[in-house]
Amino acid sequence: MKRLPLLFLVGFLAACRARESAVGAGPTPGSALTPTETAAPPLGFLDESKEGTPVEGGVLRRRLLGEPTTLNAVLQSGLPEQQVLQYVSRQLLDFDARLDLAPGLVEKWEVSDDGREYRLFLRKDAAWEDGTAVTAGDAVFTIRQIRDPKIPSPVFKPLFADADIVEAIDATSFRVRFRSADAMHAYAFALPLLPEKRYAGRPFLKVRENRAPLSNGPYRFVRWKTQESIELERNPKWSGAPGHFDRILFRVMPENPVAYRALTEGSLDETAIDQSLKERAAADRTFAACCRVVEFYNLDFNYIALNNRSPLFSDVRVRRALTMLLDRPSIVRGLYRGSARIISGPWAPDSPAYDSRVTALPFDPRAAAELLDRAGWRDTNGNGTRDKAGREFEFDLLGSAGSTAGRQLDEIFAAELAQAGVRARVRPMEWAAFVERIDAGDYEAASLAWAASDGNPDPYPYWHSSQFPPGGVNVAFYANPAADRLMEDARRERDPARRREIYHRLHRIFRDDAPVVFVVNASQKYAFRRRIGGLVTSPLGLYGFWPGPLSWWGRPDDSVTPESAH
Amino acid sequence: MVGAAGRLRDSGERALIRFLVRRIALAIPTLFGIVVVVFLLMHLAPGSPASAIGGAESGRRVSAAARAEMRRLYGLDRPLPERFVQWLGRVARFDLGESFVDRRPVSERIREALPATLALNGLALLLTLALAIPIGVAAGGRPEGPFDRTSAVMLFALYSTPVFWAALLLQTLLSVKLGWLPLYGVSSDAAPEGLAGLADRLAHLALPVTCLTYGSLAFVARLVRSGVAEARSQDFVTAALARGLSRRQALWRHAFRNALLPVVTLLGLLLPGLLSGSVIVERIFAWPGLGRLYFDSILSRDYPVVLGLSLIGGVVTLAATLAADIAAAFVDPRLRESA
Amino acid sequence: MIRRLPASGRVALVVVALLWLVAAVSPLFAGRAAEIRLDERLQAPSRLHPFGTDDLGRDLAARVVVATPISLAIGLVAAAVSLVVGFGIGGAAGYFGGVTDLLLSRLVEVVLCFPVLFLLLALAAFLPPSPATVVLAIGLTTWPSDARYARAEILKAKSLDYARAAKAAGAGPLRILLRHLLPNALAPLLVSAAFGVSWAILAEAALSFLGVGLPPPAASWGGILSSAPAYIEEAWWLALFPGLALFATVSAYNLLAESLRRATTEAGGK
Repeated sequence: MKRLPLLFLVGFLAACRARESAVGAGPTPGSALTPTETAAPPLGFLDESKEGTPVEGGVLRRRLLGEPTTLNAVLQSGLPEQQVLQYVSRQLLDFDARLDLAPGLVEKWEVSDDGREYRLFLRKDAAWEDGTAVTAGDAVFTIRQIRDPKIPSPVFKPLFADADIVEAIDATSFRVRFRSADAMHAYAFALPLLPEKRYAGRPFLKVRENRAPLSNGPYRFVRWKTQESIELERNPKWSGAPGHFDRILFRVMPENPVAYRALTEGSLDETAIDQSLKERAAADRTFAACCRVVEFYNLDFNYIALNNRSPLFSDVRVRRALTMLLDRPSIVRGLYRGSARIISGPWAPDSPAYDSRVTALPFDPRAAAELLDRAGWRDTNGNGTRDKAGREFEFDLLGSAGSTAGRQLDEIFAAELAQAGVRARVRPMEWAAFVERIDAGDYEAASLAWAASDGNPDPYPYWHSSQFPPGGVNVAFYANPAADRLMEDARRERDPARRREIYHRLHRIFRDDAPVVFVVNASQKYAFRRRIGGLVTSPLGLYGFWPGPLSWWGRPDDSVTPESAH
Repeated sequence: MVGAAGRLRDSGERALIRFLVRRIALAIPTLFGIVVVVFLLMHLAPGSPASAIGGAESGRRVSAAARAEMRRLYGLDRPLPERFVQWLGRVARFDLGESFVDRRPVSERIREALPATLALNGLALLLTLALAIPIGVAAGGRPEGPFDRTSAVMLFALYSTPVFWAALLLQTLLSVKLGWLPLYGVSSDAAPEGLAGLADRLAHLALPVTCLTYGSLAFVARLVRSGVAEARSQDFVTAALARGLSRRQALWRHAFRNALLPVVTLLGLLLPGLLSGSVIVERIFAWPGLGRLYFDSILSRDYPVVLGLSLIGGVVTLAATLAADIAAAFVDPRLRESA
Repeated sequence: MIRRLPASGRVALVVVALLWLVAAVSPLFAGRAAEIRLDERLQAPSRLHPFGTDDLGRDLAARVVVATPISLAIGLVAAAVSLVVGFGIGGAAGYFGGVTDLLLSRLVEVVLCFPVLFLLLALAAFLPPSPATVVLAIGLTTWPSDARYARAEILKAKSLDYARAAKAAGAGPLRILLRHLLPNALAPLLVSAAFGVSWAILAEAALSFLGVGLPPPAASWGGILSSAPAYIEEAWWLALFPGLALFATVSAYNLLAESLRRATTEAGGK
């Protein structure tokens, strides 16, 4: 009985914390970069699951950045949905804090020798909140719905595109066979389930459970007051380790400053914050008395996409020059006040695929100018902008109008490029129009943010030359046969250590080829009331993994006890 | 004598009715025109409801092919005229369709957002009238007098202040620096329901209502003022004074009522103006009203909601304009002949 | 006519002239306005930076100055577009009457009753951001009021004796329009134009504030204001100074328009 190979090694977390990019590294945790009255929050991963004595009961009040559009786990597409669904909808497999796949609703799974077939065995005690068991029928139904062309499930559909057989073996086990022996298929099973009996025979998009989901997790749905709040309570039919709180209350609060106030006034327990709020918190005595900032790096990063097909960016020397023209160290210092790390490839430094020995290209305008000269871009007509064969080096730098960070990055980049004779026109665009153009590949340069939704570092869909738009999402139109081969090898490689080696080699290629301008991996910042304990953070954030927020507990008040003072 | 006057009155009334019918009949193509233009604009916009899915926040790029597939699922690949006729058909049955974003009926989403906007705009309208009329009458009662001059300057300053600037300043001063009023939202989390929470709700209403009120207040006050000042010099006022009415009585009973006409006409345009202006105010103060719904729906290409709101907005505006025109025609028979 | 302006009008004229002067010299500040200094972000007003710095460390005073010609020019051109289209359509409706009037009046009504913000948003968001788009969006949404005004004026003027006499004498429509009607409409045209400019400047600021106006870094006052809400708790100067410039400009134009109207009305002109 072959076990599915575990994906990545234990303990890399500890190693990762110490490793930082060689160039322009952020400060080591604890260094005082900003003068504050309270100590700067430690920058690193927390694991308070063994600290203190958990208190049972009470209400946890969390913040939703936006209103979920649905609570149907298969249709989910945004962060607010994930935040709520995590409590009511278990996945077949979970990611744990170390980005490994771990059992969820499934207690064990096997892969066939040829690597194409997966057999998954559900836990015998997995149950829905109405008492009925979670069956293989539910799993098969869910996967069939995902594959149904009439159902818009953009997040999960690509994961099962390659499957050809999906069927139940018995009441608690099922099998899925894929057409290829891709090692990435295992990730497809980080999948929540839908209760077949509530959906069968009804119009999928109109079922009541889309707004009032049937739970198979530690909590169950109580009510949803649109635009205001979603309330959950303990699920008595849950057979696993229960959560510590009796009720969970999610409040919809799109604005950060509002959430900050709610937190300090005591009506919220947890909120995401941004850089400026973090600085305000550092100087705010009320905050220091009631709350604390939790800061850590996750797998998100920013980059400036370059359309490799454009005659402007097809030359690797030009792309390297552009990377060297962006003063990333200054951005880390000035814009992020040190809470960011420069990246040299399409992963965050805490990703297992990232090779910390690969250094980023330096900020070197002189070398960049030389590269541009050698690539044939010189200012022949004296108008201040480089040109070549009659074409001026100017282009539109697109960004999303709603993103402050994106706009700031664009303006900084444009200013630095201007000094080197490259004219970038910053064009903030309305969101939907922006997304359409990027995904269609109809742009020259654009500032984008990558938000990792799971621990899968597979670069294939985003960088392989077979994945150009409109069919794929290699929106940079990057095409490098050597990189292609490595990406294909990595997909087929079942040994995680060897796969990591391949990724490291790819990392070097990405750094040298500079298909896009990789910018930084900025830290995630949250503010909590001190009464909340048991926090665990991971590169997947606060809640992209198991148990995630389920390990939190809360004292009834905020008295600052010696061991909780930070 | 009575017969002749009676016949005159009849023909006057008939003219009014003819005017009414004509105006309403003409309003229909207008409404149609509005809806057609909205429909065309929305569908010619790049992007679709599918654009809102995925994207930077969820970390997975969605391929253009997948988005095209989703557009097909939404029925968005049908030719425009077909979709328009379909939509018209539903509207005729009072069915505004379902929101593309969360698949709930459009009417439900509008119903949810309506109270917030009504509270805001209703209060603003009331305050505008309650303040503008006395100010205007007082100023117009003594034109070029001290009150008139000072109020003119102040009102003028109010009129020239951009709404979003005023909002930012008020927020900075009253909320950030002084902490007297809340920054955003409808109510605090900890606020109790019902009457006990009234003070809290009023506190939250204070800033947004102020921002919506001051602009139209300035406008209406000046209008009332000039109307009163003009009517004041007319004969019937002198006659009233000669009859022994006090200055105040003469002003209120005669001058004001004649000044009312331009104000009524103005109200017809004020109401839709308020609804439009409240988009900015709702955005700044995170007010969950129709304005914000409208703005967000445009951004997420939620066609049914946008079309529904535009239709309703168009109807309301047209109704208000019609009412103003008819009121004017009622008062001034000469207007009953115009198109 | 300048002589007939009341004192307030003359003050307004001076202010407007000053603004244009600032606009003329603003290229001198272009360099300073574009200097990004990440180490000097969000600094309060000081001797070095009289208006403080913005979220990228640029000197706010320089940015406000540099925004002047942009805001003024857009306001002017948009008002001109609105005026031309409005007077054209309104004039034609009033002059030709009949079916033309009916159709054109419906068109006016459609645009008038149209959700203004939707049109502005749609045009500005769906077309590529540029000054031309903004001008088009504003001009196309504000012409109806000019059209209604023009139509009413033409209707009034048509019934006057000299127009009827000219027509009886055989003069063509264009001649009547130019020789007789227009000169009398000049004064109200100016008033309309002045109000139009102030409204257009406000509209552009609102669009930029909502994020669908001019693309950076060529920001207008509204564009600078659009970054203010994010920093409202720590950088009040971002909201105060650009808004003050906006306020001064809009007030000046409004005052000018108001005094022009008073001057022309009291002088007996329509």
